[in-house]
Amino acid sequence: MNNFKLEPQDQQKLDQLFGKLKTEATHFIGYPCNLGFDYTELYPFLHFAINNVGDPFVSSNYHVNSHELEREVVEYFAQLTHAADNYWGYVTNGGTEGNMYGLYLARELHPEGVVYYSQDTHYSIAKILKILRMKNIMIRSQENGEIDYEDLEETIRIKRHVTPIIVANIGTTMKGAIDNIQKIQGVLKNLAMPTQYIHCDAALSGMILPFVEDAPAFGFDSGIDSIAISGHKFIGSPIPCGIAIAKKENVDHIARAIEYVGSLDTTLTGSRNGITPIFLWYALKTRGREHFKLMVQQCFEIADYAISELKHIGQTAWRNPFSTTVVFNYPSIDIIKKWQLASYQDIAHLIIMPHVTKEWVNRFIADLAQEGKQP
Amino acid sequence: MKQISIIVKNAQGVLTTIAELMAERNINITDIEAETVGKTGVLIMTVDQYDIALQALRDTGFNAISEESLLVKLKDEPGALARVAKRFSTAGINIRGIRIINREGGESIAAISTERTEEAIKVVEDILVS
Repeated sequence: MNNFKLEPQDQQKLDQLFGKLKTEATHFIGYPCNLGFDYTELYPFLHFAINNVGDPFVSSNYHVNSHELEREVVEYFAQLTHAADNYWGYVTNGGTEGNMYGLYLARELHPEGVVYYSQDTHYSIAKILKILRMKNIMIRSQENGEIDYEDLEETIRIKRHVTPIIVANIGTTMKGAIDNIQKIQGVLKNLAMPTQYIHCDAALSGMILPFVEDAPAFGFDSGIDSIAISGHKFIGSPIPCGIAIAKKENVDHIARAIEYVGSLDTTLTGSRNGITPIFLWYALKTRGREHFKLMVQQCFEIADYAISELKHIGQTAWRNPFSTTVVFNYPSIDIIKKWQLASYQDIAHLIIMPHVTKEWVNRFIADLAQEGKQP
Repeated sequence: MKQISIIVKNAQGVLTTIAELMAERNINITDIEAETVGKTGVLIMTVDQYDIALQALRDTGFNAISEESLLVKLKDEPGALARVAKRFSTAGINIRGIRIINREGGESIAAISTERTEEAIKVVEDILVS
């Protein structure tokens, strides 16, 4: 313990922040973050300057790391995404870093490639494309948020001389729609494209679909090249994190020697979070696949309950199959602010995560119904 | 002078709001025009403090596009963007990106990132919004 003490006014500020976070967390229903986690047992690890700098699969001179657990986490997700033995990956700072990694790989492999992504793709993809200076064309979406395959085919057709790099959404941000990898492969086959690259943004649904029977295939066995899945979303973590996985043969292509840490580093950043791999490892080990299956099932049930209650008060509400995102009419700005809802044009959504119970839904519906009664 | 395009549901209805927003930040609007694409309005504005104006509009929730893009109106149907991309390809003009900005009432507005040259403008002259 150190002897440093906060000044009373600073302590008050900190206490206020704690109080605010505690209150705000009780009506957090619009963003895909599971608040149902408890990592108390891991707090002793916070006494160390854990840094996972470098490639988790290559030994480094910085030994205060959690590479071993990180590799196990990557292996777990490699199995979920049917990567067989041809994979490489690491724990990222979140979905955006995983998407950036996938697109960076794609650009290195296909410098002249054009990126195709749907209108419903997360805004961070547009940011990444700008940073990486990749040529890109947005494809229109269908009403349910899924990419329009006809538009994709027509658009790729005019640029058949360049490699198509496709960002497939495995759960879009606003509607939870899933771009069908088989249909995308069908489009590419129809056009007889000699080369292609498919990156999946599976931020939320990458931890949902593997636990649902008859869910659409989105893994490496369906022909994808890389994938990004968030760790703080469905699993839950106080620190944002995610997983990037790519085909090993592609990653080897961009490997660069970094002598400073005596490591071959293909990750995007230098210093990397060493705590989040421990959190993820702990969550995966303590819950197990059967528990995740139950969590997913419970979320679907609550989502259907929310739809039914929303309809009961006159709302138009729906969800895509295999998604826990409930889409409904844009409510008032007060509701948006209080319940921290994401909105786009005339719709908003609830995202049913494992911490959201019927009681949460009832409180939300009561607020919404009350608003409807006001003149 | 740089140009900002703002996509709105009702162009006339928001003119005052935008004028007030600019006035609060001491930004002079040197020119403003309104166009209608289907059910959507597009305000094309030039100002003396471009960066501050663009930030203020985006902070207030407006769908504002910078002048680096060409805005075109299209039919909202599969292949419409492909046909525009082909025009540029035929003319030998490189496109950095094409993005759908709005879809409503059977029409859509797309932003095309390319060098805003006379040649590029000519390629889409018949469908150019700004």
